[in-house]
Amino acid sequence: MLVFVTVGSTKFDALVQATISEPVLTALHTKGFVQVVLQRGNSILDPDCGASTQDSLTTRKAGVDIEAWKFKPSIQDEIERADLVISHAGSGTILDVLRSGKPLIVVPNPTLMDNHQKELALQLDRLGHLRATSVDDLPKTIGSFDANALVPFPAFDGSKFRRLVDEMMGFTDM
Amino acid sequence: MFLQIVTVLGFLLVTRIYVVVSSPSPKPRRRDDGETCVLAVFLGSGGHTSEALTLTSSLDFSRYSPRIYIVSEGDTLSASKAVSLEHSKASRNPIPGSDGQRSFEIVTIPRARRVHQAMWTVFPTFMRSVLACIHLVTIAPLLKKDSFSTPFAHLLILNGPGTCVTLCAAVMVNKLLGLPRPKMVYVESYARVQSLSLSGKILRYFVDRFLVQWPTLISGSGREECYGCLV
Repeated sequence: MLVFVTVGSTKFDALVQATISEPVLTALHTKGFVQVVLQRGNSILDPDCGASTQDSLTTRKAGVDIEAWKFKPSIQDEIERADLVISHAGSGTILDVLRSGKPLIVVPNPTLMDNHQKELALQLDRLGHLRATSVDDLPKTIGSFDANALVPFPAFDGSKFRRLVDEMMGFTDM
Repeated sequence: MFLQIVTVLGFLLVTRIYVVVSSPSPKPRRRDDGETCVLAVFLGSGGHTSEALTLTSSLDFSRYSPRIYIVSEGDTLSASKAVSLEHSKASRNPIPGSDGQRSFEIVTIPRARRVHQAMWTVFPTFMRSVLACIHLVTIAPLLKKDSFSTPFAHLLILNGPGTCVTLCAAVMVNKLLGLPRPKMVYVESYARVQSLSLSGKILRYFVDRFLVQWPTLISGSGREECYGCLV
């Protein structure tokens, strides 16, 4: 099984570094994951190397194959291919993953100012569509994660906005 | 004497602004099926662009044509996303008889404030953005034929952030001068669950419809409407 980890194009060093840490990889391996694909965006992967300049690298640790990329050409393809997605709390990524029907763990970035992203992650966690957690609690959350317990996210429905705008512009009667 | 004239003019201006801002927008006239509306959409980059394009994709393009996508200077990603939406719509249901006609255009305006720009240097940048918006919304339509009955667009969709406030300000200039203007609908980002964005807090008093996507954002002001997730 494959897990896709993405921080979009953001800088979220703590999440990308946790992803390749022993506790997270062990938790993933216990759940049957043998492959990690990581999109690190502008985050630093290895603090010892300073800024990692390589666009991609592959390695193996704790029984898991790791592929780390700066940017993947198509995020959507990676989501489709994955059995689990772990992501930052960007609303675009969250919607893309939930609409693809993939199980999702969201880790909001605590270093952001005016962190309204966290609100969305917590609200969707409350509604049961995903699990929201912190970098520190990630191994525990992976351990207790049950994809079957998630509530399916409703499909996109453009009819509400279309009806409202058509009424507003006089195409249909108020 | 001079002071009195200024006072009277000032009083009249304030009264005009109050009347214009507080007056409800008139009921739309009935549009027949064959008619079209010019649609303008502000693409605010990143998640804002995705949401604005998803909202646009809900609409019937044979009614809302042509479409004007307004992007900030340097935001090539939003412009290319708009082009790919247009292509996917055109391949799914081609509109008969529209061959060769320009069905959309992309307009670029300067940013109201660049990311990390020091506050004390914002004013000239902001004014440049305001003037570009006034040119687009107020001046350019006047220079065209039949301009007194045609606004630059009939409908303007706003989703944030910053620069959409200057666009709305330009539309208010038209309203004050009695010029034709687009109807404005603001949709607060789906990411806003507990509190409105700064753009939302300002614009809710000026736009024709103000939509939020979480019921937690309905305040006592009576401005917000919620129909759940629209993206």
